[in-house]
Amino acid sequence: MTLLIQRLLDGLFNGSIYAALAVAIAISHRATGRVNLAQGEIGLFGGYLALAMASPAASFVAGAALFSNLPGHPFHLWISTLLAVIVAAVLAVALQRALMRDFDESTPQRALNRSIALLICVSAVISSQWGTRGRIFGELFPSGSNDFVSVFGARLRYTTIGAWVVVIIACGLVTLFLSKTKAGLSFRALTDNRASSVLVGIQPKKLMAIGWGISGALAALAASLAASMSLLDSSLMFRTLIYSLAAVTLGGFDSLRGAVIGGIIVAQAQTLIPGYLGLPTEMSIVAALIVLITVLVFRPWGLFGQRPVERV
Amino acid sequence: MSNQVLSCENVTASYGAIQALHGVNLEVNEGEIVVVLGANGAGKTTTLRAICNMVATEGTVMLNGRDISKADTADIVNAGVAHVPQGRGTFAALTVLENLEVGAYTRTDDEVQSDIEMWFEKYPVLGERRTQAAGSLSGGEQQMLAVARAAMSRPTMMLLDEPSLGLAPLIIEDLFQTFAQLNKEQGTSMLLVEQNANLALEIADRGYLLETGEITGSGSAEELRNDPAVQAAYLGA
Ligand SMILES: Nc1ncnc2c1ncn2[C@@H]1O[C@H](COP(=O)(O)OP(=O)(O)O)[C@@H](O)[C@H]1O
Ligand SMILES: [Mg+2]
Repeated sequence: MTLLIQRLLDGLFNGSIYAALAVAIAISHRATGRVNLAQGEIGLFGGYLALAMASPAASFVAGAALFSNLPGHPFHLWISTLLAVIVAAVLAVALQRALMRDFDESTPQRALNRSIALLICVSAVISSQWGTRGRIFGELFPSGSNDFVSVFGARLRYTTIGAWVVVIIACGLVTLFLSKTKAGLSFRALTDNRASSVLVGIQPKKLMAIGWGISGALAALAASLAASMSLLDSSLMFRTLIYSLAAVTLGGFDSLRGAVIGGIIVAQAQTLIPGYLGLPTEMSIVAALIVLITVLVFRPWGLFGQRPVERV
Repeated sequence: MSNQVLSCENVTASYGAIQALHGVNLEVNEGEIVVVLGANGAGKTTTLRAICNMVATEGTVMLNGRDISKADTADIVNAGVAHVPQGRGTFAALTVLENLEVGAYTRTDDEVQSDIEMWFEKYPVLGERRTQAAGSLSGGEQQMLAVARAAMSRPTMMLLDEPSLGLAPLIIEDLFQTFAQLNKEQGTSMLLVEQNANLALEIADRGYLLETGEITGSGSAEELRNDPAVQAAYLGA
């Protein structure tokens, strides 16, 4: 029993990362009608920026001297993470405007190709700039051996709680934007009916860039959280992307709540299925795929997505 | 001569290799309701889509003296055109209230809320269901919502694509009353495309006949009503 609870709690941390990236994928999908496969890499770039700004040797990169009189004085890890999240958002907007803006509804294949090309480019930039070996990112939350609360004899680590608090705040902000602002309303209108939104004067190109910006920020947050738990390495977000794609497919591409719940389910499947079947942890990706295929067979529009209506 | 709000000069439109309009000429003057009568497939929808630059077009479309043939659709809406598309085009997942709010997307004045209340008074069903998803409304209610949403932008020119399609006669009458009222009270010019000639000619000032992508006739509402060819084709006489 304790073992089961422990496995569930362990899965919860990864769940927060997958949820954050899954929401990022869902938001940019809602804006553009396309999956951005470079989503994880854009976030990873943000993660490296955060580390660079927090490291003494590289702090000049971010102009830390502006905020501090000491040359080479690093930012606190939290501040550099927040700055990196903002930079990633701006970068994502710039990439969208530069590379994706000329796509209309009739060119899905080209948009997909270009997001794959972008994934490869960003990945190459990261590898050449920071190398491929893992780097210690630092702790965003206390993660010593005693930093946990006990839940029925199992350990719920502060890191897990902290990661969820951050992800919930971030998703809460996105939800507020969508439900309380004029831009958010037009964003939902665009998702609902692209043809009609143009007819009320909405400019899809603007919202597509905003969508990419929000997802760039979320992806950078996901990368920083993931890195703070393990190491920052060049393949970190590629693995995460696969699980998060499974999560959005599960939750439905247009549902933010679905993306979060999908993230939790995939993470639990990833720890529980290999754990109970006695598979090596490297096989956990198979577990995610099993869940994914099962859902695709029975509910191809996802657990929370809108079932497409056949109009007559 | 009265002020011209909208004109199409020799407008052609095509879907890929298929040409749907072969040089359409029409005009709408300030405060007029103009109807375009045409059978299924005549090119009524395409004409309205061409005005909003939603289909590949050639020729000249003028709005209040400005050439909008090459302008973006969103830009044209900003310039005062509201388009109620065939099949309503409401935002099914948004609430009734949100549909009206988003209809005022181009507006920056502070009378949006009072306009919304005005529509809820005019159509109490919409008011009662303000927090419900538009997709849950009946066909007639959705058409009312579509018209109200279009009017929320305070357009100078309204394009109405077969608003009577699939609605019960009483509801159609109510709807056409609204058009006449909007036209009278707010001076909104209207281009109405219809197969239902009876009611359309009742509220219209003038009309055109559209057949296979070409204008084949025109006249005052009175003239068209008395035209034997129109009676045979559209009035079931
Ligand atoms: N998306 C489209 N692709 C190809 N042909 C189309 C398309 N839409 C309409 N058409 C053709 O253009 C012509 C005019 O159509 P339309 O403007 O919809 O007529 P109406 O609204 O008068 O019924 C028809 O022959 C129709 O088949
Ligand atoms: Mg039509």
